[in-house]
Amino acid sequence: MKIRSIPVMLLASICLFQAYGQETFPRNDVKDERIEAFAFTNAIIYTDAENQLAGATLLIRDGKIEQVGQSIDIPAGYQVRDLDGKYIYPGLIDIYTNYGMPEVKRPGRSGWTSREQIDPTTKGPYSANDAIKSHFMAVEEFTIDEKEAEAFRKLGFGTVLSFRPDGIARGTGAVVTLGDGSENKHIIKDQATAHYSFNRGSSTQYYPRSMMGYISLLRQTYLDAEWYNELDEKPFKDVSLESWIASQSLPQIFDARNWMNTLRADKVGDEFGVQYVIKSGGNEYQRIAEVKGTNASLIIPVSFPDAYDVEDPIDADRVAYEDMLHWELAPTNPAVLSENGVTFALTTSGLKKKEHFFANVRKAIEFGLDETVALKSLTTIPASLLQIEDQVGTIAQGKIANFIITDRPLFDHGLTIHENWIQGKGYVITRESEPDHAGTYTLQLDGADYVMKISGEGNAQKVKLVLNDTSELNIGVQFEQPLVSFQVKLSKDDAPHRLSGWSTEDGWRGTGQTPDGAWFDWEASMVEEEEMASKDDESEDEEDTRDVGNVVYPFLAYGIEELPEQKTFLIKNTTVWTNEEQGILENTDVLISNGKISQIGKDLSASGAEIIDGSGKHLTPGIVDEHTHIAGGGNEVATNSAMVRIGDQVTSEDINIYRSLAGGVTTAQVLHGSANPIGGQSAIIKLKWGENPEGLQIPGADGFIKFALGENVKRSRNSNSIRYPQTRMGVEQVYVDAFTNAREYEKAWANYNAFTPDEKEDHALPRRDLADEAILEILNEERFITCHSYVQSEINMLMKVADQFDFRINTFTHILEGYKVADKMKEHGVAASTFSDWWNYKWEVRYAIPYNAAIMHREGVLTGINSDDANMGRRLNQEAAKAIKYGGISEEEALKMVTLNPAIMLHLDDRIGSVKVGKDADLVLWTDHPLSVYARAEKTLIEGAVYFDLEEDQERRNELQVERNRLVQKMLDAKKSGKRTQKAKSREYLEVHCESVLGEENHSHH
Amino acid sequence: MKNISILVTLFLFTVTLNAQVPVPAEPQSQPIVLTGGTAHLGTGEIVENAVIVFDEGKITAVGSAGTSYPSGAEVIDIEGQHIYPSFILMNSIVGLSEVSSIRAMNDEEEEGSINPNVRSVISYNTDSENIPTFRFNGILLAESAPEGGIISGTSSVMEMEGWNWEDACHTMDMGMHVHWPSRTRRNFDYSTFTVTEEKNKNYEKYVTDIKGHFADAKAYMDAEDKTTNLKMEAMKGLFTGDMVLFVHARAAKEMIESLTFAQSLGIPKIVLVGGSDAVHISSYLADHEIPIVIPPTHSLPDRTDQAIDLPYSLPNILTEAGVKVVLSHEDMLANARNLPFYAGTAAAYGMDKEEALKLITINAAEALGIEDQVGTIEVGKDATLFVSQGDALDIRGNVLSYAFISGKKVVLPNKQQALYDRYSEKYGHTR
Repeated sequence: MKIRSIPVMLLASICLFQAYGQETFPRNDVKDERIEAFAFTNAIIYTDAENQLAGATLLIRDGKIEQVGQSIDIPAGYQVRDLDGKYIYPGLIDIYTNYGMPEVKRPGRSGWTSREQIDPTTKGPYSANDAIKSHFMAVEEFTIDEKEAEAFRKLGFGTVLSFRPDGIARGTGAVVTLGDGSENKHIIKDQATAHYSFNRGSSTQYYPRSMMGYISLLRQTYLDAEWYNELDEKPFKDVSLESWIASQSLPQIFDARNWMNTLRADKVGDEFGVQYVIKSGGNEYQRIAEVKGTNASLIIPVSFPDAYDVEDPIDADRVAYEDMLHWELAPTNPAVLSENGVTFALTTSGLKKKEHFFANVRKAIEFGLDETVALKSLTTIPASLLQIEDQVGTIAQGKIANFIITDRPLFDHGLTIHENWIQGKGYVITRESEPDHAGTYTLQLDGADYVMKISGEGNAQKVKLVLNDTSELNIGVQFEQPLVSFQVKLSKDDAPHRLSGWSTEDGWRGTGQTPDGAWFDWEASMVEEEEMASKDDESEDEEDTRDVGNVVYPFLAYGIEELPEQKTFLIKNTTVWTNEEQGILENTDVLISNGKISQIGKDLSASGAEIIDGSGKHLTPGIVDEHTHIAGGGNEVATNSAMVRIGDQVTSEDINIYRSLAGGVTTAQVLHGSANPIGGQSAIIKLKWGENPEGLQIPGADGFIKFALGENVKRSRNSNSIRYPQTRMGVEQVYVDAFTNAREYEKAWANYNAFTPDEKEDHALPRRDLADEAILEILNEERFITCHSYVQSEINMLMKVADQFDFRINTFTHILEGYKVADKMKEHGVAASTFSDWWNYKWEVRYAIPYNAAIMHREGVLTGINSDDANMGRRLNQEAAKAIKYGGISEEEALKMVTLNPAIMLHLDDRIGSVKVGKDADLVLWTDHPLSVYARAEKTLIEGAVYFDLEEDQERRNELQVERNRLVQKMLDAKKSGKRTQKAKSREYLEVHCESVLGEENHSHH
Repeated sequence: MKNISILVTLFLFTVTLNAQVPVPAEPQSQPIVLTGGTAHLGTGEIVENAVIVFDEGKITAVGSAGTSYPSGAEVIDIEGQHIYPSFILMNSIVGLSEVSSIRAMNDEEEEGSINPNVRSVISYNTDSENIPTFRFNGILLAESAPEGGIISGTSSVMEMEGWNWEDACHTMDMGMHVHWPSRTRRNFDYSTFTVTEEKNKNYEKYVTDIKGHFADAKAYMDAEDKTTNLKMEAMKGLFTGDMVLFVHARAAKEMIESLTFAQSLGIPKIVLVGGSDAVHISSYLADHEIPIVIPPTHSLPDRTDQAIDLPYSLPNILTEAGVKVVLSHEDMLANARNLPFYAGTAAAYGMDKEEALKLITINAAEALGIEDQVGTIEVGKDATLFVSQGDALDIRGNVLSYAFISGKKVVLPNKQQALYDRYSEKYGHTR
């Protein structure tokens, strides 16, 4: 009864030849060793992407390629296969798979309300962090997964790199072939690669949980590995570190997922002399110059998004421009990379359905990817990146016999892969494709003659019945040469006649049943062969690839194609709030050149300057926000997170940069959140909309670090928390401990560095600790504290701790009870950056008063007003006005609270914060009194370039509508032409503030 | 031990808290006349050099210089200053929640999803420390509304002063808040760190539930022989027009679905609580004369592609489309005192200032169904108004010299000013 299963097996890919046992395996039969030698003749052989041999012969023996060429004698004992008209290609290589790997368990969500897992849970002498799994070896866990192997083989793949996607360090990957049988035969490189990512995988350990944390953990692990390796006598056993060290010589593959993370990964690599091969996300075209600048070889998916279903305009309105534009541009990504000289391998990874792979590669080719490059990216490039080019990737003597047999060039429409040979074993993918039957036939059926037309090619042939009135009815058909079955409706509403038959010289004959169940014989014979009409079908399918939108920076609505230029501007006849001794100057001109303020005065003139009429308007310095979390802020959660750096995760792709510019903000400190007593290092940016993440950051700015006090750091809202500290007493000890340790750390290194080389031999190398180093920078006044703070007791405490260690706190931020200890703050010399009028949202702010800024200012404390979020960040001029309403501060002093004073706090007052000759031309021209609720920023300049302009903003809105509409029309066409679509949906970027922790939405505040 | 210490702290604090809320004012005992100021009536009209008279809590005369007033009246010269009707804060949790991060201090959300029978006025704490700070900026009336679930409960309009909730209540149980479900669900996408939408598979079920409750309530009202059902009883007022139905819906299609449903039941007073998506359905709102309560202008746009100033200009866009717009507050309750500046911002983005004033006065009164009593300075209405030294919609101008609630001259300084005084004195600051 087994016969019944044969047709099913035929449909699946089947092995042409039996697998024979491995020598060391037990035998349960007589010895059955055979000659495994084959000759493939008359094929067009692509020995590699660039070379092809017509009418060539390929000899393989015992799994290896013996010879390939055009005039080769076939030795006796070879099974000969005539492949006339067929093509042979090297078997494809997928460099990025988890084939045959155990499943990775995803951890449940955890966050502000869960108990922290402080220690690792991995059993054994492994890393102190569960996300460091460098000890994992794919080769040890690899098992053949026949179902998955078959899916790969169907696509022509013979070799894959397999690794387990778990952890920030993921251990090593193995190169395996996709045959069946025992694992032993299919490992072609066991320790092939080492893997890394920005994803902690199955780890539930609480640190790290932010991009900057992942980067910090990587950095520290590199340092720990170097240190561990140096030590003659190891202080402890760490198998993870040992594996890490051992795998450094392998190709290092980083899972980055998008262009921005690709830049981040490359930067980490640069710090440690490692050039990663980076798996990116398919959006590299969005910042191609920067991606190219990494010099990294990339691994690129071809997972192009489906068009959105935008038929309903209200639904369509929800779809973000960047998602629409990415739909259009994603297929250009491989071509753009190639044109820019970036080396990349393509992967099936990221595809929702693997079987879309060829269609998508073809799409990339339609959008400009060179076919040769496409083939290289699936053969020689991955082989070379994996350092297995001596084994696979081309068809050459001595290499593994991995190749595929196709009916036409690999990237042509209608491709059929007939066979996929792996290590000298053939797997049938698709039997001979159905011959072309296109033409007109006479169908004799149940005693009458009908006209039947067949069109199309291969498995896509369509059959129609032509009725007397020349209208056509589709005929259902299943070809399975030499068998065929037709379902013929003689008129539209009839039930079909069901026909089954076999091929003849000029058609088919067979038997059938009428709708009534009566049997009859039938015959179809060709009367006219049809010219190939299939070209037309294809052209219908072709997209117009030339007319696509331009990339904008950032890749969001209101993004720009080119950054604004620095120009010479002369702002005429305006009211200038200088923030200097001159105070407010009426009817004054300001000249800007080379990005600086070059002249202030009356009736200025400058040749070639662009004139800006400032009459009736007000010119102020750009607003400086001492405390924001836009553009990449966030929280790490270790009690002492001094090692993490916001600068590592600054993002340029944040609409709030543009929105803030419209509120007159030009400079902002992007701060770590307030989840821990010692938070991370901040980044100070200028809001240069369109710049890349590095370009936003102010070069040479002093380094700052976020500290935090109070309810957040003692996890007041998490009744399950066990993290030290839980009280304000403990918070103080965290600081005293950190500063004490930093001094000890300094001493240990000073002692060690003072040793002679000989003495060093006898002393253990101290371990580098990035948290200690950051804390030490504070003590040495190379890094400065901005401390989130509310109640007076702890404000006082931190100043006392600073006194104890002989340094000064730079800034208290939020500082809502600063008014209670303003005299002490003045004495300490600390600045205050506060909310204008926030209070009563948590226990520790019950005594916050909106007069706080006024009192601190009057007491002589350098006082600023900050935002903390993107919403308030765009109205800081109004927040400053509240110091007038509450406390009667003068207008000039109020404006300074959001300009000059925060600039001083950030040590940038030599460059920004006032309208003074020689300072950066970071200026805002307001339509009205700048402290009025009615004022709008008409122009916001940074370094002499206009980054926001009210009129231009209107134009951009109009352009955006035009662009969106163009894309909507294109998506409608796509749907109409039968392309897959996805439901229209919005994308929302989480608003980050002090308490935002990765992986949870937290709506409470600050 | 920990729990006990928290209880002790709370107890002690409650005592000091009571001590810090100003003493409620005595009822108006004599006619009061405000002369010489600029009156912003809330009708769109400005009266320069105005004479405003009120007695026994009601406005008795509104006119320009020379308007007569009874002898024996207290005359207050406010030359150079501005008079406004009370700003009205709608859809707030005032009195229900004090410190949101502390569970014990939150009384705005009852367990369960269908709670038409719970009444905010019962939870309302006249000693909330937020209240004097609202008053300080011109908010003398507020709707105190429960939150959460599908039918959150019944709201009341409260005066921002009073010894207890009975005294403070202006209009009791005047509104019912219904939260229409969303067709989409938010889904956090780790790979892009963004929130994308997914279809809400339970949408139909939730909608069927809501419809069922309303259908039951209507049938209950008409039925003669019935067992008393508290939830059904509570919904009666919606059908008789004694109560306003506030429908919360954030997306355009949900707005239409919820409003057409409410209208199909013949509910006479319907108000939409929505957002920027209303621009798509403004003609519906205009045609059916349904007012909309929108989030503060001081918000971020809902979507990246939206005009960056959409929240600022939304009141104008909707008003221009013929919709009655009310500005409200969202999130952190203490910040609701900035309501006037939300209206100021609307004026900065296209609205006439007097029209912008309506967003937080008469439009709110109309949405609450109390426009006959408050919302403008007109004869016969409550003398719930205030005097500001400057433009009360602009931050620097919003400095109140007097405020009257039903004619009572209320105390403006509060704990915050007391602390300001205390510490200015400590440091010897001259102000």
